[in-house]
Amino acid sequence: MMVMDPRDIHEARPEAAPEKGGEQNLDGLLALVARGDEPAFEAVYARLAGAAYGLIRKVVRDPAQSEEVAQEVLLEVWRTASRFDPAKGSAATWVLTIAHRRAIDRVRSVTATAARDQMAAEPVPASDEVAEAVEASLDRERVRHCLDGLTELQRESITLAYYGGYSYRQVAALLGATLSSIKTRIRDGLIRMRDCLGVSG
Amino acid sequence: MRPARHDLHLLSGVYVLDAIDSDIERDRFERHLGRCHTCIAEVRGLREVTTRMAMAAALQPPPALHGRVLAAVRRTRQLPPVADTKPRRGPWRERLAQRSGWFPRLALAAAAAGVAAAVVLGVILAGTQHQLSNAQAENRAIARVLAAPDARVLAQSTAAGGTAVVVVSSAERALIVTTAGLRPLPASKVYEAWLINPKRTRPAGLLPAPQGGRTRPLLATGLMPGDELGLTVEPAGGTAKPTTTPILVLPLST
Repeated sequence: MMVMDPRDIHEARPEAAPEKGGEQNLDGLLALVARGDEPAFEAVYARLAGAAYGLIRKVVRDPAQSEEVAQEVLLEVWRTASRFDPAKGSAATWVLTIAHRRAIDRVRSVTATAARDQMAAEPVPASDEVAEAVEASLDRERVRHCLDGLTELQRESITLAYYGGYSYRQVAALLGATLSSIKTRIRDGLIRMRDCLGVSG
Repeated sequence: MRPARHDLHLLSGVYVLDAIDSDIERDRFERHLGRCHTCIAEVRGLREVTTRMAMAAALQPPPALHGRVLAAVRRTRQLPPVADTKPRRGPWRERLAQRSGWFPRLALAAAAAGVAAAVVLGVILAGTQHQLSNAQAENRAIARVLAAPDARVLAQSTAAGGTAVVVVSSAERALIVTTAGLRPLPASKVYEAWLINPKRTRPAGLLPAPQGGRTRPLLATGLMPGDELGLTVEPAGGTAKPTTTPILVLPLST
């Protein structure tokens, strides 16, 4: 069953690499994946593997572990595609939510924490190197612009939690703020981001 | 104490960032979501924000990933659609159950050592998680003991009530001591741990003050063959040699 969603208009980004004729929207592709369609899965991979890997890399840091987590995530997309419900959100959100949670799982296990702490002690790769071959420059510009519109506390809390993989308790400890203030700042900041990015729920 | 509904609503932001590390709090918010339509709409909208943030972080994945994923896809059976009649368990729980690596191994060991061990391991996990910014070196050492291939979990009740749970690794020559339900001490006293050995008995550290009846993990290093773990009550600050009868003596060797 294919459900067309107006939000897909937003997702068919003009800068996305043109795919072979009759480009499918992601929701439709996932419906095909749920029926075992491997080419549809390859198309989903082409659209979302970069975002999934980049996000996991931000949270997990270690390239080898990040690749492992990315592989788990993409396989989970294949395995559980039938569980995707377009009524609850877009396909990209479904996939990238899985990616973020898996990355968080990885860093919140004790052993990985230790590995990451060691990573943190090593020099961070130059941002140019990390930023190689990025397809999402426009997304990046918009997100950066909207992040810049937040208060410092909002911006720091959101990036530490989402990209850093810290729990809000840890964010509160890192920023020397109370739990309730972090909770509020994050919510207010995300609402402001939502309005700035013009995404609809 | 349950938070007011208004407070629950404020969790939408940290929820979409996966920044809630308490299962209880997350479950409570998810139950609230089931009743609150405005919250569902808000979570949806905020999740789209995180999607944009993820897109903005995109990197070229390693080329080898593509082939590996496709190969895995070809040998992996897909889940059939669910006839969704009753609420499913949250995905977080499922993932916890599936978590790979040392956790299941340790959980198995804990099951063998009894429920108390599992409870105290929970404290270890929570404790190490919450101390990212300080005592990192000690956390790393604790993580190494937990992850050691020869790590064993031992549990024994003490003469002061409660239970001591110990994770010991001969390879790391170290052990982690946690306790639950020990008789509380006045501020002038402390529980001190010892490595007892016919050749030489060494102080192994002071148990931290209990929180909710449990003590956070104490790491003791320099384990020698034949050592036993002892616990005694000593004056605050500890002593160099045990001065009272141990409330616990636990052989550590296999």
